[in-house]
Amino acid sequence: MSLVVDDELWSAIGDPIRRTMIDLLLSDGPGTATSLSRQLPVTRQAVSKHLAVLDRVGLIHAEPAGRERHFQVDEAQLARAVAQLSAVGSTWDARLRRIKRIAETIERHRTSNGGD
Amino acid sequence: MEQGTIERDIHVDASPEVVFEVVSQPEHMREWWPDDARFESVAGAPGELVWRDADTGETKTVALAVVDVDPPKRFSFRWCFTEPDRGGQALLVTFDLVPSGTGTLIRMTETGFRELGWEVAVLEEQYRDHENGWNHYMPRLGEYVTRLVATP
Repeated sequence: MSLVVDDELWSAIGDPIRRTMIDLLLSDGPGTATSLSRQLPVTRQAVSKHLAVLDRVGLIHAEPAGRERHFQVDEAQLARAVAQLSAVGSTWDARLRRIKRIAETIERHRTSNGGD
Repeated sequence: MEQGTIERDIHVDASPEVVFEVVSQPEHMREWWPDDARFESVAGAPGELVWRDADTGETKTVALAVVDVDPPKRFSFRWCFTEPDRGGQALLVTFDLVPSGTGTLIRMTETGFRELGWEVAVLEEQYRDHENGWNHYMPRLGEYVTRLVATP
């Protein structure tokens, strides 16, 4: 299985606040930094910074609307993120390799000492 | 998202008893996964996994609940709960240990992704693994192995 993990995309959606913002934009439709900040425990300035990160990786798109910009989720890019669920498997591969190394080290240690 | 389950097999040149300790004891788990693991390896016991950001010192704590403890055959737990106090949906991680020659076959399954949906499964998992970075763990594993070998 070959895996292509887009680090920037992952990093963008890895933050819990940004994740919540995507959820809000999906459930409530397009929103602004102001409308989102009303529903989140962070300032409007912080929301703007998070929106910029999401915008940069293409997970959301902005349209001018008066003084503010309306953001909405990019379905195609979101689908791509979903497809990367398979990448979760590779993180288990890494964990299991560490389990193997630790267990084998303990086993060798016990054997060489004639038991523990 | 077609698959609701991740399944992995790995052969380990160690007895099921040793492998069981490594997968089910918090002092070992914190060497192969989170920065800290707090739980009693007892069916039904609540616990926590903790990740620490090396740069900011900020910590993230994730609830865990031990499900099965059947040495040296099976250890399972739930994590990624969708509701507070270990409620709602969760991912179930199961380690089945099968004697294989002089060693052990570990069969790991993680189920529940379909039920959780992408937002929790993909994003939470990503958060832990990529935010913290596996590169961070590899040097620590080396240190851990060195300590183990040095222990009389």
